[in-house]
Parts: sequence; C-alpha cells; structure tokens
Amino acid sequence: MSTTFLPCGEYHQSYHEDHAWWQTKFIKGKMILLMLVLFGGIPYMADSYWISVCNQVGYTVLGALGVQLLIGFCGQVTLGHAAFLAVGAYTSTLLILEFPWPKFFLDLGLAYPISILAAAVVAGVWSVLFGLPSAKVKGFYLILTTMAAQFVTVDFVITQYISQIGGRGQAFSLPPGTIKIGPWVIDSDLKIYYMMLVLVILLVAAVVNLLRSRVGRAWVAIRDNDISAEVMGINVVQYKLFAFFVAGFIGGVAGAFWISNLAAISPEHFPWFWSLWLVGVILIGGVGSIHGTIFGSIFMVVVMELLQMAVIPLASSYPKLLMDFLFIKEAAFGLAICAFMVFEPNGLAYRWWQAKNYFNLWPFSY
Amino acid sequence: MPHGDKAIGVKAEDAQEFPKDLTIPKLFHQQAKRYGKDRVAMREKEFGIWRPITWQDYLDNVKYLALGLIKLGLQEGDKVAMIGDNRPEGLMAEMAALCARGVGVWLFQDCLMDEVRYIIDHSDAKFVFGEGQEEVDKTLSIIKDCPKLKKIIWDDPKGLRQYHQECLISLRDVQDLGRELEKEKPHLFEELINKGHGEEIALLFYTSGTTALPKGALLSHHNMLSMGKHLMEVDPCQDSDDYVSYLPFAWIGEQMMSISCGLQMGYTLNFPEAPETAQANIREIGPHVMFAPPRMYEQMTRTVQVKYLDATWLKRTFYQFATWVGYRVADMKFAKKPVPFYWQALHGLVYATVQKKLKDNLGMSRVRNAYTGGAAMGPDHFRFFHSLGVNLKQIYGQTEVAGISVVHRRGDIKFDTVGTPIPGTEVRINQDGEILTRSPSVFQGYYKNPEATAKTLIDGWLYSGDKGFIDDDGHLVVFDRTKDVFTLKDGRPFAPQYLETRLKFSPYIKDGWVIGDKRDYLSAVMCIDYAVVSNWADQRKLNYTSYQELSQMPEVYDLVEKQIRQANKDLPDLAKVRKFTNLYKEFDADDDELTRTRKLRRAFVEKRYKEIVDALYTQNDSVHIDTLIKYEDGRQAHIVTDMRIVSIAN
Repeated sequence: MSTTFLPCGEYHQSYHEDHAWWQTKFIKGKMILLMLVLFGGIPYMADSYWISVCNQVGYTVLGALGVQLLIGFCGQVTLGHAAFLAVGAYTSTLLILEFPWPKFFLDLGLAYPISILAAAVVAGVWSVLFGLPSAKVKGFYLILTTMAAQFVTVDFVITQYISQIGGRGQAFSLPPGTIKIGPWVIDSDLKIYYMMLVLVILLVAAVVNLLRSRVGRAWVAIRDNDISAEVMGINVVQYKLFAFFVAGFIGGVAGAFWISNLAAISPEHFPWFWSLWLVGVILIGGVGSIHGTIFGSIFMVVVMELLQMAVIPLASSYPKLLMDFLFIKEAAFGLAICAFMVFEPNGLAYRWWQAKNYFNLWPFSY
Repeated sequence: MPHGDKAIGVKAEDAQEFPKDLTIPKLFHQQAKRYGKDRVAMREKEFGIWRPITWQDYLDNVKYLALGLIKLGLQEGDKVAMIGDNRPEGLMAEMAALCARGVGVWLFQDCLMDEVRYIIDHSDAKFVFGEGQEEVDKTLSIIKDCPKLKKIIWDDPKGLRQYHQECLISLRDVQDLGRELEKEKPHLFEELINKGHGEEIALLFYTSGTTALPKGALLSHHNMLSMGKHLMEVDPCQDSDDYVSYLPFAWIGEQMMSISCGLQMGYTLNFPEAPETAQANIREIGPHVMFAPPRMYEQMTRTVQVKYLDATWLKRTFYQFATWVGYRVADMKFAKKPVPFYWQALHGLVYATVQKKLKDNLGMSRVRNAYTGGAAMGPDHFRFFHSLGVNLKQIYGQTEVAGISVVHRRGDIKFDTVGTPIPGTEVRINQDGEILTRSPSVFQGYYKNPEATAKTLIDGWLYSGDKGFIDDDGHLVVFDRTKDVFTLKDGRPFAPQYLETRLKFSPYIKDGWVIGDKRDYLSAVMCIDYAVVSNWADQRKLNYTSYQELSQMPEVYDLVEKQIRQANKDLPDLAKVRKFTNLYKEFDADDDELTRTRKLRRAFVEKRYKEIVDALYTQNDSVHIDTLIKYEDGRQAHIVTDMRIVSIAN
C-alpha cells in the first residue's frame, strides 16, 4: 500500500496510481517549487564558492547512492565503494585522453558523454567482480572482501599500472576544453552544477523506480531475510550481483562526473577513507532511505564547510588548527557518527518523517 | 383528521407527482444503461486498492444472477434471504432477487442461530445468499427446520472446498446457469423487469424490535423509491458523489442510502475492506453524504477526545482554542443570530489551523450532509460536530416508512428536535401524544401478522409508538418510546435517553442506563469504555486483569462519578443521577440487552438486573452478583462478583 500520507478524499483505484510518485497536488506543488529553487534559485542567489559546495554535495549524493542501494536496500555492507568511483573516473579520463576519437565526435562534443556511459558500465562490471564473494559470505566477512576491492583497485591496479599509461607518472591532467558535452564546454562551477543536477535527478529517479519494481522488492526481501527471500523464489545471488552492478554503475557515473571538477586526477582522490565517508553519510542520513542519502550528503558537506569557516578566523592565533585541519575533520566525522548512533540511529530521514508526521497528524499525535 | 391535534407536513397529493409503476429494477436498468461503462457504480477496497465496478459490470452481474435464480426455480413473490457483510455481491444479490420478481429479506450478519432460523422460516425464504463459510454454516445448521429453503448460494470460496451438500451452489455457478438461460430466452431479463409494478412488494424487512420477536414489514417498490426521492428533494446529491456503505444492509437506513437514494442519484457506493477498517476506509474516500446511527458519531467523538488527551501540549492548546471558538460560533448559528465579523474571522483562522485537519482526520472533509437517526443523539455530540462545521442533521423514521419521514433543513437546526417532514409526508400527534405519519412510503403491513398490522396501520396513518410533540417552529420533537418515558417524583415526564446520551459524551463511558420511573430519585448503571479506561488506568499504573475487575476499582468509580457530575450539571434536582454502579460487563446485543442497532432494551435489562435495580434503592453500598453470561459462539461463563454502589451528593 501506498506509504504517502493521503488527505481525506484521495484514493487509488489501481496499483498504478497506488505506486505513483507524486500522489497529491500538495506534493506536486512542493516538488515544482523544489525544482524552481534548484534550477533557478540557487544559481541566482549563490556565489561561486557555494556553488562549488553544492557540487561537492551532488558528488557525495552520487557516491552515496550506490552505497545506500547496497547497504540500505540490499543489506550488502560495502567499505570499498571509492574503488568504483575511481574506475569510473579513470575509464572516462582514459577514454577522453587516449581513445582515437573520430574528429566529428570531438567536434560534436560526444566524447565525454560517451565516456561517462562507458565508465558506468566498466565500473559496474568491476563491481560485480568484487560482489562475487557475496554469494558465499555475509556481514563482517563481506566488509573485508569489499575492502579488498579498494586496495586491489586503487592501491594496486590503478597506482601501479593504469597511472603509467601514457607515461605521465602519477596524475592525468585534463587540458581545458576536453570536458565538453555537445557544444558546451564544462569550464565553470555553474556548468558543473547544472550537470550535477541533471545526473543526480536522473540517477535518483532510476534508483527509486528500480526500488518500486520487482527488482527493488527482491532486494529488500534479501536485506530483511535472505533465506525467506530464497524460499519465495528469488534468485538471491543473481539479485545481489545485480545490486553490485547498479551500485558500481552509479559509482562510475559519479567518478566520471567528478573529473569535470578536477584539473588532474590521481589515485589520492579516491582514498579508502572516502569509502568510509560514504558509509558515514548514509548512517547519518538514514539507512534504507533515498531522502537519507541526500540529507546525509548535505549534512556532511555543509558541516565540514562550516567547520572550516570556524577554523579559519582562529588560524591566526592558533596556526596549528589549520595545519591539523584534516585531523579535526576526521575527528568531527567520528564524533558525528557516534552522536547519530546514540541519539538518532534512524538518521536524518527519520527526523524528516517525524516532522512531516507532526503536521500530518495535527491536531493529534497519532 | 381527529380533532384537537396539530399536524405538519405536505400531503402526498400536493407533493410532486411520482410515477406509481416505477420499480427498483426498472430504475436500476435505466441508470445502468445511462451510465454504462463510463461511470463507477460501486467500489470495493480489496488488496489495498479501491477496485471499481462500472454500471455495466453491475448490470451484467445482476442480469445473469437473476436469470440463474429463475433457472433454479424462483417464482414471482418468492423470498430471497441475504446475509453477509457489505460487499458489492450482497447488493447484486438483492438487485437480482428484485429483478427476478422475488422479494428481498436481509439478515444481520451477527444474528444468532435462533434469529436466523426464525427469520428464514417465518419469511418462507426459498434461497439464501450467504457470503462465505460462516454464513453457510449458520444456514446449513438450520436448514432442516426450514423446509421451504431450497438453495444456499455462496460467493467466497474460502474454507468451502470440503462442502459437498446438495443445497449449496456458488454465485458463479448461478450466473453460469443464467447465461445458459439467456441463450434460450434472450429477452427474458428485460421482460421480467418490465412486468413489475411499483405497488408490488420489494423487500421484507425485519424490525429489530426493542420488545418482542422481530416483525416483518412489507415494503413496496413505491414505498422505497418515493422515500428516497423525497429525501433527495430536501438535500440533493449528485452522481459524482461518494457514499460509503458499511452499516448492515439489514438496517433500513443503509437500504435507503444504497438503494432508494443511491439508485436515483447514481452516486458511487464504496465498500470497505473489512468491517474493522471501515473508519479508516471512510477517511480515504471522504464521502459527500453520511447516514449513521448516533453510536457511530459517538464513537468518532470519543476517538477525538481520547486522541486529544494523548496529544502534546501545543496541539492540545490549539485544539482547545479552536473548540472554544467553534462552539461559540455554532451556538450563534443554532440561535439563528448573525455571526459578527470578528467571530467569523476568528472562526476562519481556527478552521484553517485546526478544524480543517480535524475534519480530514475524521473523513469528513467533503461531507455535505451527515444524518443521524435510529436513536436519540445527545446535544453535546450535536454541538461538537457543528462546532467543526459538519452539517449534522437529525432525522426521524422507522422501517415502516421505508426509512425516514422527518429531517432537519439546512440552516434550521435545533438539536432537541428532529426537524420537519420531507415532502409528501404528513405528521401529527394524537391525543395520547403518539406520533402518526402518513405518506406514500408507509408500509404495506406486517408479514403474516394481521393483528400487529391492524394496530399500527389505521386509515393510512402509521402509529409509531413514539411519544412526541410539535414545537412552535413546526419541528417534530421525539420524546422517547412511549413505554420508556419516566414519570419523575413530581409527576413530570422525563426521557431517560436524554440523560443517557449526555453521559455518553464522556469518552470513558460506553453505555449508561438510567433508572427511576416513579421512584424517589434517579440512579444509573454504567458501562465503562474498556479501551479508553484501560488506557487511563495504565497511565496511572493501576493493576487489573479484566473488564470486570477494572470496572470495580475505586479509582474508576471516582472517574465515573466525575463524568456523572458533569452530565448532571444544569439539570433540575430531580432529574439528576443520585446513585450509580459500574456494571461488570458491557451491554451486548448477543445477551439481548441491546437491539442489533444498539438500542437499550429497557424492559429486558430491568428484568435481568432486577437485584441491581433493587439494590440501588436501598441503603446498601454493594450488591452481590451470581450469574451466567453468554458468548457469541454459544459458550457460557459463570460470574460471581460484588458491585459497589456509590451515592452522589450535591
């Protein structure tokens, strides 16, 4: 049954209506308003700095979406997601830099879009490879095998071999003008912002659609109890691997997107800490919630920015603060996770749900 | 007209002409042809969605069912009994019986075996439509006592796989028989419908009866349709309206809304998923028109009050303020005084902040007219709904006028009256103070009971057995059932129902029974609301194991006393409850204490609880009980307890 709060007098005569996205006029209005703010309001109001913060949020959302899918909806704990972001980023970069594109492809600005798609597929396949152990192992052991993905991919394959392609050494630099979609050269934060918005909306929509289909129900069944899922006729291994594929696919898109924001990419952009960070994002946002992915990303990025803003004025008197900022950031991250685990284990999404319910149930409490 | 009495209403001859040969099947056929596949006739909630049934589906189902019944041997005037929940199939069965020129008989689903046997046997029913296994079991166990019963038709196969009795047949099979018959005689269905005349009997309706065995009232097509038409003249509905059908079809009010009015207006009937989900399902649909006995509205009020008690401080404050404003404005409207603009502005404000959501919560957002009838409703409840801006109207009627005869008009609502007669209806009071009604809807007599018919139906006037009077505004005031009216110590008449409904406004009180006819003072036997009081007790960490124990706790007595003091307020001294006791159980229709429509059977309880009544008029402070109680499945339990008696001083 529909989980949307429906006002009196709104009812469904078919399952099609029952599973519709925006079921009431109020919600439709709300969403249109949100789109106006995202596409018009924020670019109009925010300066280049805040736009770049938004881009950071979008990147986090894209990264965390795959983690959310695996952990929150399919129950497969992963601690190596940055590897797939890296695969995406490197695939896209290599395709742009090394692939012998026909001239008209470059003129039409198709190289980057095609490379994003290719990056997604390669990262997806790569992810399935590291998802294979999930057929046998669960929980804690799966964490270790996914961590293996991180170390094998980034620290070994990419650092030792991929980075050597073309003999550039550690980093691939992207000359200005190479990141081009159609006639638009992605060369400013605002353009990255719009690209980020389109990608986030497309991928979130795709994931939400998957989740309300047979596939999504199978994932949730596996998450809740894999044995009963199997008893009900779900091919558990196949669906788990598909979850890994989709998560890797989204990660690949995220990585390929992020190169537009970087002048040069190197393995340091995808440390193991980033994998952990993405798990932290969904823990704080709320496990098993698409809203949670977005809230968690906003929270983490904005809190870190605020922290930075707080540190800078103090830096003149305590220069050590600035030098050790990385450690402060990590400490704050740890503290935030601990605080959420203790005070709000269901994450920000639950708070959001509570706030909505407070008004939906008005003037009562249940 | 006998001399010396007052009459209100419009004679049938002066009201709008209504074709006498129109029958329910004819109207059904017209409407189904008119709306066809484009409009939804009924919806049933199944597996989470409201499955629509178009008029064309409705017509097809009824057609084959009717022909199937003919094939099974239904003759003109044969009775077809129906028992089951409110479902589209139930209504289709009824319509099919009428189309096949049979007569419909509805039974309450929770009828005990004896009642089922009595009604099926007395009505000479040839077919029984039972919903599923429960109904089939009931009917199978009495079939040997009812020789006229030929077939039992079921439609829910759950649990029926191992039933191989000859007399059982499924609804689908009956429809298949109908399809075969249609091939032989393609126009039979239309011919059957066209043969009908409005004066023929359509339904045989068993009245619940607060006193004796149920009596079967015969209602013609014209009775039903004219009643519906006249009500709709007062409060028109549209074919785009929604109505939720969840009260038993064996209650005339539901027939009136689903058939008499529903068919004429063509609005959509919505059937809830299960009886337990009715309230939630009403909220989803948001009906435009509602008709329910007072207990449904009392239940809603109770829910609101309990939820209010459990809400947070801010919400409670908003609610209190909104109610205060709502009551003030409602009272001005009741008094027909103009509402000053600042009150209007304030009302608009609280409407937007609280009452709109509250109405949404109750499923009353879209209600244009809400009716209550069948029993008395307390003024407190009435004011409560009007303070929310729900247009709640009192109506008065009985099975014998095919539904209702008197209703409030918009903007002319007085909560101690039931309003004025609907078009074509005359109402007068005779010398004894009894309410008499004459209209085209007055029934044709009781089935196989000429004595009762002769007593009730005299010169076309229906003698209701209710006491009442007509007030200065021409509104009918129904006092109570004649035999229930009390005489107080000072000789004044007093309607105990009035006090009982006031007591029931408290969320903690489920039922109250006020005693004191020709006695020194009034006393009351109270039934607490188990759900609410147990919640209250849990919050105070009181220990109890059962209703019986909870009801006898001193804290609960204090609580009930507080509620009685509230109800006693503003009443003359003699009309105040002076002593009360908490009953060890709730009143129950299965114990014959209530009718199936939850009216208290006063004479019966007075006999049954004689020792309690006697103890209330002695100096004793407790009464010893040693009794048997009967459960729905026939089990009995032995109860030994002491009930405290508490006096309420001024």
